[in-house]
Amino acid sequence: MKQLFSLLALLLALSIPATSSAQCRSFAKNKCMPGMAPYKFNETFNAAQLAPGEEAQVDLTFYSGQEYRLLICSHPILGKVNWQLRDAGGNTLTQSTGDAPKDHFDFKVATTQKLTVHIDVPAGDKGGNNMLTVGCVGILVGYK
Amino acid sequence: MRATPFINATIAALVLAGCGNPQQPAEELNVATDSTAIIRSERTRNIFHSIPSPMETAGLLKKAGAEYDRGILNDVKNVDKYTSASKQAINLGIYGADLSYASVYNNTQESMLYTSCAQKLAKKLDVSNAFNQEVVDRMEKNRNDRDSLLSIISETYLDVDGYLKENQRDNISALMVAGGWMEGLYIATQVAKTHDTPELRQRVAEQRLSLTDLLELIRTYSPDDATVAGVLQDLERLDALFGQVTTPTGNSTMTEENGVATIGGTAPTATLSDEQLKAITEATAAIRAAYIN
Repeated sequence: MKQLFSLLALLLALSIPATSSAQCRSFAKNKCMPGMAPYKFNETFNAAQLAPGEEAQVDLTFYSGQEYRLLICSHPILGKVNWQLRDAGGNTLTQSTGDAPKDHFDFKVATTQKLTVHIDVPAGDKGGNNMLTVGCVGILVGYK
Repeated sequence: MRATPFINATIAALVLAGCGNPQQPAEELNVATDSTAIIRSERTRNIFHSIPSPMETAGLLKKAGAEYDRGILNDVKNVDKYTSASKQAINLGIYGADLSYASVYNNTQESMLYTSCAQKLAKKLDVSNAFNQEVVDRMEKNRNDRDSLLSIISETYLDVDGYLKENQRDNISALMVAGGWMEGLYIATQVAKTHDTPELRQRVAEQRLSLTDLLELIRTYSPDDATVAGVLQDLERLDALFGQVTTPTGNSTMTEENGVATIGGTAPTATLSDEQLKAITEATAAIRAAYIN
């Protein structure tokens, strides 16, 4: 009986990543992508389930001659996530913080270059309960 | 008491898995117990590898003034040749890039042919959930509306890529991305043969940036996978040829022009010598020939 429970738990646990990732993709498509208009979504799916205190980072190539929208979209359960756009030297070009939040940044580049988006989910107060909250964060890019 | 975490995990798993519960919104939040915290503490930093899409590359070629050339695309008749999953994945990426190229240039008839090829390979790879007949019907219905067609293709690419990753088939996703990137470079270098402009050379040279990202992505997979190892070798071969291309590495400045933020670079515009372009063109053609045959 114990072995059966263990097997059941294992099978269920294995199904969690696929289900939660699918939810994240669905979140990105339904809740984030509408904010991309009038830019064309660049097809690249950068989204993950993050918990308070976690960080994510992605390097993105931006081409001269195009206008871009960088859209950071997070599930409301996480509150406002902080993000920074950094150049190849690690300098912050623009950022969103709890005091001055923004969910997107429209820009163009004079020279084709790689920029880094760094995200951190502020560590929240668990309010004394024993639960770990996890929510989807998407980093989407559109161009025109 | 010892059973509590186990029971919590089981309940959490049942809740999260959903088991097809139609009442659960797809984007519902997840709440797990602290039993997952140990796993999470080991991966607090998530690094993504993002490769520019074939559609963006095709759009850049069009902006650079390149003409459409159907003769350079993978023959649709080849689609039945691909029997192994790795070949199917690489060529799904290749046909996907051809589909993007044809669609960006508004070649509706060819777009539908390449859609058919891509869907066939998606089915063989068991990705029909993400690329099904409904998608094809939507594309058919919007075949004369370029923007809608491009939007459906982008969404489908996201779904296929996402579906593969969600089902722990990241290596198949990576091969598809590599195939698409290689086809984009192949198209650009072939077009440059007949339309050799400074702007087009610049676009080819700039692929060094995305090649670096692609290499990082492929290196995250086990070298025990022979196809992945082969693709890695191909990319490293190209990387050596791109080695001399200058790309921005230092600080950038930000100014505002007509209300739009503009980020400036510190390096000159990337370009290629005749010898470099020739070497990259030949190497790309040889690698791509091995992928499609």
